[in-house]
Amino acid sequence: MNIAVILRQVPDTEAVVQPDAARPGSIQEAELKFVLNPFDEYAVEEAVKITEKAGGDAVGFCIGPDRSEAAIRGALAVGLRRAVLITDAAAVEADVVTQGRILAAAIKGFAPELILCGRELIDTSDDAMAAVVAHFLDIPHVLEAVKIEVDGGKATVTREVEGADLEIEARLPVAVSCCKGLNEPRYPKILDIKRSRTKEIKRLTLAELGLESLPAKSRVVELRLPPARPKGIRVDGEPAVAAGQAAEWLSKTAKVV
Amino acid sequence: MGGILVWAETSKDGMRKATREAAAVGLKLAEQTGAPLAAVVCGATPEAAAGLGRLGFSKVYAAAGPAFEKYSSEAYAAAVADAGARMGADVFLMGATALGRDLSASLAARLDAALATDVTDIQWGKTPLTVIRPVYSSKLLAVTELAAERKVLSLRPNVFHAGAEREQTAQVEPLPCEAANIRAQVLRAIEDAGDALDVTEADIIVSGGRGVGGPDGFKLIADLAQTLRGAVGASRAAVDAGWIHYNHQVGQTGKAVSPVLYIACGISGAIQHFAGMGSSKFIMAVNKDKDAPIMEKADFCIVGDLFKVLPILKEELAKVVKTN
Repeated sequence: MNIAVILRQVPDTEAVVQPDAARPGSIQEAELKFVLNPFDEYAVEEAVKITEKAGGDAVGFCIGPDRSEAAIRGALAVGLRRAVLITDAAAVEADVVTQGRILAAAIKGFAPELILCGRELIDTSDDAMAAVVAHFLDIPHVLEAVKIEVDGGKATVTREVEGADLEIEARLPVAVSCCKGLNEPRYPKILDIKRSRTKEIKRLTLAELGLESLPAKSRVVELRLPPARPKGIRVDGEPAVAAGQAAEWLSKTAKVV
Repeated sequence: MGGILVWAETSKDGMRKATREAAAVGLKLAEQTGAPLAAVVCGATPEAAAGLGRLGFSKVYAAAGPAFEKYSSEAYAAAVADAGARMGADVFLMGATALGRDLSASLAARLDAALATDVTDIQWGKTPLTVIRPVYSSKLLAVTELAAERKVLSLRPNVFHAGAEREQTAQVEPLPCEAANIRAQVLRAIEDAGDALDVTEADIIVSGGRGVGGPDGFKLIADLAQTLRGAVGASRAAVDAGWIHYNHQVGQTGKAVSPVLYIACGISGAIQHFAGMGSSKFIMAVNKDKDAPIMEKADFCIVGDLFKVLPILKEELAKVVKTN
């Protein structure tokens, strides 16, 4: 079974990100450490797990600048066969619907039965990619999977909504976004890391995909820091006294009781 | 500007709170721009559809039939797009609930629209429509101009205020339902045990971290949450230790929440956790470590042993709750 895995390189989760005054809508990148989008790790693991069992190839598809190769190499070390990288600035800077259209065009020829991606891109906080790619490939999608079972031309996927778990049956091919809880991503072995260096990362351009005119649907005009929180009240007396003060604050200041 | 269409999401007990919030945003936008406003609802009874008048809608498009008994991205997006075409809508609003996020994605792709998910603010009066949404795990806010002709917005629950209900019945227009080609179908919904409130829609969240010590410690958290009629949250450390289900996790790899009050108990407040709850209106922290990062961010900090403080706090609050 062939599986496409959508990848993104993002700033490390512990990174402090700052707006770049010189480039409105962008962050300062000079000191940043980048990693594979944390939710993509579940997608990569699931793809490798399924292809190990059922055969077929798992191939990565990524939109991002040149530096994205480092994150892609990590996914190749875990077990993706090869990867495709699109570095055109127009693609890198595009909104999620446009990026989904581009990825769909790149994935189409590979004709996978399953398309996996992370639940959310932790840089742009977009969680729509699986649905958008599915739309442009005219296939169904399921978001936020915590369980995927593929059998006989269909996938049974479990996702959580408020107050319930939904069990969804989808015809293949299907695009699924992956949540924490789906699996335990493995750490690649040294030998796999060495081997991954010879795996192919193919560059693809928007021109090659026949997608040269992509008007921007939306544009981040400014990135700003959230308002700083004022310094709080601190109590450290006897538990009974502190609890009493807290109860009073909850009632008089926060007004929640 | 064309019309404004709000997707009304139903729940077991009527309309979701997030729908009431989206209705209020729709009303304000309609008032400011003079654009017509309507709602679309799927799988609701005609009475429930007409009842949307109470949220301020005079017109409601209703899709009913077997295809709408359970949520499906394909049938629901088709119905919302159909209603949008009928009224000439170019702005589509919904709550950023689990299904709202799914629908907004399908709809935006189908309409080739600008998509803004988890919106926390709108720059009223700007053209083109300009919204603010948290990015980089809420470490930054992105002021985003939605230039495309059609715009799909999902609004973060608990951020926008729902308006007062009105004495009004909406005119209901049924949508003809052609047999949609549904390729992803909900087989069954496994309801959570009890009526545990989800953190994303809760006004009050009491959350536990490593300092809670284990599943037993979460009973203290749940007790306090119950007294405050709030939801139970957790840090990644507590979830990874297996003390509580992932459903409850708040933070970068969990859920982003914006309650009125967030009480962090035994949570150090790493940047990844703060990312998920930093937009709470009030933050209270209970922690033994006076230097824990959460103590720098909280509005009210109790330096002390949560096992001693929480039971007393619960009793104090129970008294107040009772007298109210």
